[in-house]
Amino acid sequence: MDILFFIYISMAMFAVGVIGVLVKRNALIFFLSIELMLNAANLLFVAFARQWGNETGLVWVFFVLVVAAAEAAVGLALIINLFRSKQIVDVDQYNVLKG
Amino acid sequence: MLYAVLLGLFLPLVSFLGLMSASNIIGRRLTGFIACASVLISFVCFSSLLWIYTNTQMQPQTFFIYHWIPVSGIDADFTLYIDPLALLMTLIITGIGFLIHLYSIGYIEHEEDFARYFACLNFFIFAMLLLVLAGNLLLLFAGWEGVGLASYLLVGYWYHRPAAAQAATKAFVVNRIGDCGFLIALLLTFQIFGTGEITDVTQRVAQLFAIGAPLLTLMTFLYFVGAMGKSAQLPLQVWLPDAMEGPTPVSALIHAATMVTAGVYLVVRMHDVYLLTPLTLYIIAIIGAATALFAALCALAQTDLKRVLAYSTISQLGYMFLACGVGAFYAGMFHLTTHAFVKALLFLAAGNVVHMMHGSTNMDYMGGLWKIFFKTRWLFLIGAIALAGIPPLAIFFSKDLILEQVHHAGYELLFYTGLLTSILTAFYMTRAYYLTFLGKTRLEEKIIKVVEEAPSIMTGPVTALAVLSIIGGFLGYAFGAMPPLESFLHKVGIGLPGNQPSGNFVFTLETLASTVGALLAIALAYTIYSKYAQRLGAPLQVLKKAFYIDQIYDLLFVNPLKFVASLITRFIEPKMIEGSILATAHGTQKTARWLQQMQSGQIRSYVAWMAIGMALLIVYMAF
Amino acid sequence: MFPFATIAQWILGIVLVLSSFGVILLEKPIHASLSFLLTLLMLAALYLQLSAQFIAVMQVLVYAGAILVIFMFVIVLFQDAYQQLSKFQPRSYKPFLIFAAIAFTGSLIFLGYQLRAHPPAQRALPTGYGTVESLGEALYLDFFFPFEAVIFVFLIALIGAVYIGRKAK
Repeated sequence: MDILFFIYISMAMFAVGVIGVLVKRNALIFFLSIELMLNAANLLFVAFARQWGNETGLVWVFFVLVVAAAEAAVGLALIINLFRSKQIVDVDQYNVLKG
Repeated sequence: MLYAVLLGLFLPLVSFLGLMSASNIIGRRLTGFIACASVLISFVCFSSLLWIYTNTQMQPQTFFIYHWIPVSGIDADFTLYIDPLALLMTLIITGIGFLIHLYSIGYIEHEEDFARYFACLNFFIFAMLLLVLAGNLLLLFAGWEGVGLASYLLVGYWYHRPAAAQAATKAFVVNRIGDCGFLIALLLTFQIFGTGEITDVTQRVAQLFAIGAPLLTLMTFLYFVGAMGKSAQLPLQVWLPDAMEGPTPVSALIHAATMVTAGVYLVVRMHDVYLLTPLTLYIIAIIGAATALFAALCALAQTDLKRVLAYSTISQLGYMFLACGVGAFYAGMFHLTTHAFVKALLFLAAGNVVHMMHGSTNMDYMGGLWKIFFKTRWLFLIGAIALAGIPPLAIFFSKDLILEQVHHAGYELLFYTGLLTSILTAFYMTRAYYLTFLGKTRLEEKIIKVVEEAPSIMTGPVTALAVLSIIGGFLGYAFGAMPPLESFLHKVGIGLPGNQPSGNFVFTLETLASTVGALLAIALAYTIYSKYAQRLGAPLQVLKKAFYIDQIYDLLFVNPLKFVASLITRFIEPKMIEGSILATAHGTQKTARWLQQMQSGQIRSYVAWMAIGMALLIVYMAF
Repeated sequence: MFPFATIAQWILGIVLVLSSFGVILLEKPIHASLSFLLTLLMLAALYLQLSAQFIAVMQVLVYAGAILVIFMFVIVLFQDAYQQLSKFQPRSYKPFLIFAAIAFTGSLIFLGYQLRAHPPAQRALPTGYGTVESLGEALYLDFFFPFEAVIFVFLIALIGAVYIGRKAK
């Protein structure tokens, strides 16, 4: 029951993240939803690490944390750059790679 | 002796190839010289063969050259068979061919494309020689097709004229229909006899079949169908009048003297087989007589000089087949020989007129040329009288022999048909002569001034043919029982029914009837056309259009085929065949364009696709 | 009566889910990021419940303290930008997106349903589980190479972010 609880919570958070990515048009909220998904994965890692009694899971969480930080930094830099050139935050307008 | 044969046969072919390749380099005179020389050398080769044959008691020989198609079941070899019949034909072909080559040098004077003309003429000579010398039926068929091709090439010599191109196609296609019959007969021959060698077939046929065997009758009839196509008999005669679109020497050589006689040659060559099938012979006789009458009727009403001669040729070919049909094969060959002389004479003389009138052949605009063509008027006259069957010129002997044989064999109706046809022949030849040469001239003034007699290079060969027409009959006239020609051919069994010599049949009742009839016809025609020309309306349209046979064929065969062809062109081909290919291309393009929509550049769409994929994966793994 | 831990778990879980909904549902980006902050704090608490002390602190420090701060900076920078969204037409095909979302969610629910029947058993925790020392040992001894690699990634990301983010000349 215990672990199932965490599985469900994690799944719910992940689903919310996916919905957020699909539905929101603001680039920043888009990004925030991605972070939400990462956190859901983290929760699952920690829960299962406790389940199996294995610290490897925690190490993985550490790495995920670091990479998430790096990715957030770079992503936000990109968004700032985009906003400077286009003055728009709508992800739908970022379609230069069309075709 | 083999070398003489090979040289005579292949020299025209070599000349053809040479002239075709070097057409740009060689000048007009040299081309003509090479072409004529090659035929002359052929003629010399075959005459020397004749001399050897008659003086050294030679027997018919087969020369094996090489294994042509060594497939079991067909086993056709390239063999040449020399016997009196073949020698006679080769002499006619090369002799008259040489004269016509000479004549052509003058006729083609104003043409640019002379090399092609002479090359095709030489090719024709080669193909015809191959046909008559072939010892194997398949090889004969090769020559058969070759002359058909040469005819197409030469009739369509002026290919930029639509009428000429259509006529050439028509000639080839109608020929093809006959060839269909020939091919089936050929296949039957291979099936029945296991070989195509003519000597094998003729020797074994008596052992294998009784008289009147159905399979044999079918085979001989199908060979005759091929002959019908090639020799323009009813109902496949429609191509010959149209083939007059070609140059006149071509008409003389191919459509009078040689190619159209290939059918007769075939029947005579296989006479041993035909004698075993009386039903086919009867059919041949009937068709021959019917054709003769039909063509003579049509010739009465033509206004084109060459067409009169074309229908006349069809009519005389009918006579030859009539002769073969009653079993008088020698008479058929004799008539073939004399007709070759006379018809070539007539065509070339007509060619004189046509050439100097710059291609016009319409007799409505001729008349009174007696005053202008002082040589040709005599030459044409000799030809016309000869064809009408007046003794002692050539055709008289051969035609009367045929009529006698028909009467003797008991075919009353066919005899009267033949008699009527010969009277009509005299009539229309006189008419043609009168309308062209005599009477008041219908030419325009300015044309009269420029028209003159043909050059001697053209009148020379015609004169030679005229001489042959006069004395040629005596080849078959016996000062004794058997004339020289007959004794020559008799060696290979080609004679009259019952093997009786023709000397018995010279001055009989039939002769009298036909001669008197011809003279009356000439007188009648002369009177009508000289005195009552104004009261005569236009010639009967029915006869002029040959009983509308062209129109009937158009309706029955040509138009339905054209309709089917247009159907295919307009519907089936673009929509179905090409359409399916285009549809593949379009389908690919449409798919690509539809798939292109996936690359919209929208991040959210991409994520959506990923989400769907993930969902499927999860569902799959969760099962 | 349920033990305190279970109740706490449940409360934390529910608030977590609610606040994550809040991230996507709230209109103004500032509100969304504050909701996100709440999510992170709830997560940290859950980590503590799962005996992962180091990770919990790390979460608060790094995520809530650093990443979220950066986010807030950028949001404040573009705080009025979200209003212009109404000017533009959405370019993606909306029903398709909704279908994808539903499909995904449905599949997850399906997975959850399948897992119901087989709850895995829990094992005993080793001593010192989740403490800084044991994690440090694991990092520096067992996972040294990934550790160094990830630091390298971090360096690159740092340089990259600075480079991308500077003003164009």
